[in-house]
Amino acid sequence: MKPTKAGQTVDLEPLRRVLEERFRPRDYREAQELVVGACQEAQRLFGWVPPEAAQLIAEHLGVTTNRIYGLLTFYADFRTEPPGRHFLWICHGAACYVAGAGRLVEFLHERYGITGQGTTPDGALTVHVFNGCLGVCDLAPVAQLDHHEYVGLLSLERLQALIAELQGEAQTEAADGSTE
Amino acid sequence: MGRLSDRRAFEQYAAQAEQRWETLWSGDRWVISVGISECSIAKGALETYRHLELLLSDGHIPGVLRRVGCAGWCFAEPFVEIKLPGQPPIVYGWMTTDRVPDLLDALRRGELRPEWALGVRAGESWRGIPALREHPFLRSQRRLLLEQAGIIDPESIDDYIATGGYRAFLKALLEMTPEEVVNEVKTSNLRGRGGAGFPTGIKWESGRRTPAWPKYVVVNSHEGEPNVFKDRRLLETNPHLVLEGLLIGCYALETQHGYNYIGGEHALALRRFQKAVEQAYELGLLGDNILGSGFSCHVRVRTGGGAYICGEGSALMYAIMGQRGQPRTKPPRSVEEGLWKRPTVLNNTETFASIPAIIRNGGSWYAALGTKESTGTKLVTMQGPVRYLGVAEIELGMPMRQLIFEVFGGLRDGYRFKGVQTGGVSAGPLREEELDVPVDFDALTPRGAMLGSGGFVVFDDTVCAVDFARYLVAFSRFESCGKCTPCRLGTPALVEILDRIRHGFGRPEDLDVIRYASKHIIDLSLCGLGQVAPMPLLGMLERFREEFIEHITERRCRAGVCPMTAVAPIAL
Repeated sequence: MKPTKAGQTVDLEPLRRVLEERFRPRDYREAQELVVGACQEAQRLFGWVPPEAAQLIAEHLGVTTNRIYGLLTFYADFRTEPPGRHFLWICHGAACYVAGAGRLVEFLHERYGITGQGTTPDGALTVHVFNGCLGVCDLAPVAQLDHHEYVGLLSLERLQALIAELQGEAQTEAADGSTE
Repeated sequence: MGRLSDRRAFEQYAAQAEQRWETLWSGDRWVISVGISECSIAKGALETYRHLELLLSDGHIPGVLRRVGCAGWCFAEPFVEIKLPGQPPIVYGWMTTDRVPDLLDALRRGELRPEWALGVRAGESWRGIPALREHPFLRSQRRLLLEQAGIIDPESIDDYIATGGYRAFLKALLEMTPEEVVNEVKTSNLRGRGGAGFPTGIKWESGRRTPAWPKYVVVNSHEGEPNVFKDRRLLETNPHLVLEGLLIGCYALETQHGYNYIGGEHALALRRFQKAVEQAYELGLLGDNILGSGFSCHVRVRTGGGAYICGEGSALMYAIMGQRGQPRTKPPRSVEEGLWKRPTVLNNTETFASIPAIIRNGGSWYAALGTKESTGTKLVTMQGPVRYLGVAEIELGMPMRQLIFEVFGGLRDGYRFKGVQTGGVSAGPLREEELDVPVDFDALTPRGAMLGSGGFVVFDDTVCAVDFARYLVAFSRFESCGKCTPCRLGTPALVEILDRIRHGFGRPEDLDVIRYASKHIIDLSLCGLGQVAPMPLLGMLERFREEFIEHITERRCRAGVCPMTAVAPIAL
């Protein structure tokens, strides 16, 4: 998943294809039921839901754009701003809390000013404090990186090391990108 | 393969599936099963699987590699089950890739490596390896829903049919009237597994009685609580069981509209359930005119985007309808006016999963399990520093002490038990001296605790009661949908007071303010989630009052967690 950078024009073609293939409501009720799924699809493609994509979904399903934004701002999982290069879910479930996730969340707030959701200033990493349980309590406190890789048994030091590593990676990636 | 046209076609298909299943287990090949679910993926099960694939590909070992679901023993993930020809299957735990070659080599030499074995899947111990069901984690469990967990492939409808699947649906569809199905569920006295414990049979009956069509049947697989993960494990390990329950529900309501609402973050559960639906369509167990009976049923899967409130009945229905998931005032109840203003029966995933066994064995058989008022089995998850972390299925009525110290193995070395938080974020904790209370729907309630959806959190003395209470209320604050004022403004007020206490600026009258504000939130909130938001705080305050007072009068936190700053905090 390559997030779209802000300011870049968004290529809506992949989304349009998906919508035409899999989001074909038979009546207005089904159209409304499909809105959230379509937004999830857009976020999967772009890493966030750009305004152009929201507009496209609205037109495709015959609902208003403000209805789409009503949903995007209601659900915690949706992003209306582009994320950083990496995405980290920090589990804030009770098991992780009992194992010390509270200190990690506090650290993120003190160091980067992130409460709930936010991106580090260099754009390397978007952190989302996941209010719920990731269901991997054996590894508590646990985080999920880029939606597939789990980092378990986090201490403050391990989290700091992880963030530093991701920031370093992002810097090299950015440098590579500029020389191309 | 085409759609099955009638009962005979199904029987034939099932007989073939059974035979394939028999051959698999009695053949002269090794059968290697790897448990793959979200929790084992996190611990490297996919790598284990690929490693085994690689080792088998050179042909030295004549083996079949299978994928199975989670079996509840999260503490031993990733697990691998190996059956050698002529031997019973042995389950090995903690099978990370570095151990895989060792294990296979040892097995080829005829050594069993009993130190890695969880147990052997047989009636009794075998060559020094104890029987799996004698494992302390499994000994006191009663597994109905998890009976096939870790044995069948969750992505294969054939495995499910070969082990007796869809027979209950066939029985209901072809031998029973919808009324008989509802009566059977009523006899079983099955109560809703989502938390409220409302009798399922009565809900179905009132759904039937409401004279409006079409009707809807909805599975609630949202599960957004911060301390429970049973539904998604169930969907990951046996999605067809839930689907079969849903089909029976649709038949009982005589409707063709079934829904499953799954939280968007449960990616694997979502994928596996969707796959189950597709397979059922292919076989003709879903769709129009199922098995020539004239009954049609269509199941749609819908997902949410991470809002705890969408687990509430009316909010969930708005969420399905593509609106903001906010609850509404009741009455009318959802069995009268739910999805698209039509009668809607909404039950928890686990409730639906319990239905096939009830239909197969009869309601009175089910009613004999558990206690008189809380029948049957319940999936429970225990979190915190316990030895055997995972999902267990127990008969209701088991004492809490046995659940914590026997099934889940008690606390790990170096931890001292302080309390157990019950009922998610909707109830209070229990202290050590109260642990003899039975785990069921009613016995916990008078003590300010609750069975809820079956998520328990054990905490030790490094956890501060004030801080933990703040966490639980802060969860409710964050997840408040903002529709009604008591919850929207009341929960932040509680968090603010708790923050003051945590920072050492608490005042003695704060405890009264907490009680006063809580009463308002409980009495005036619109939905069930708001009405229980202050419960964990009140429970903590009652059980660990001395800690609150210590914080206020001595500015001391005995767990050493609370910040106790020199300056008063600014509310975040």
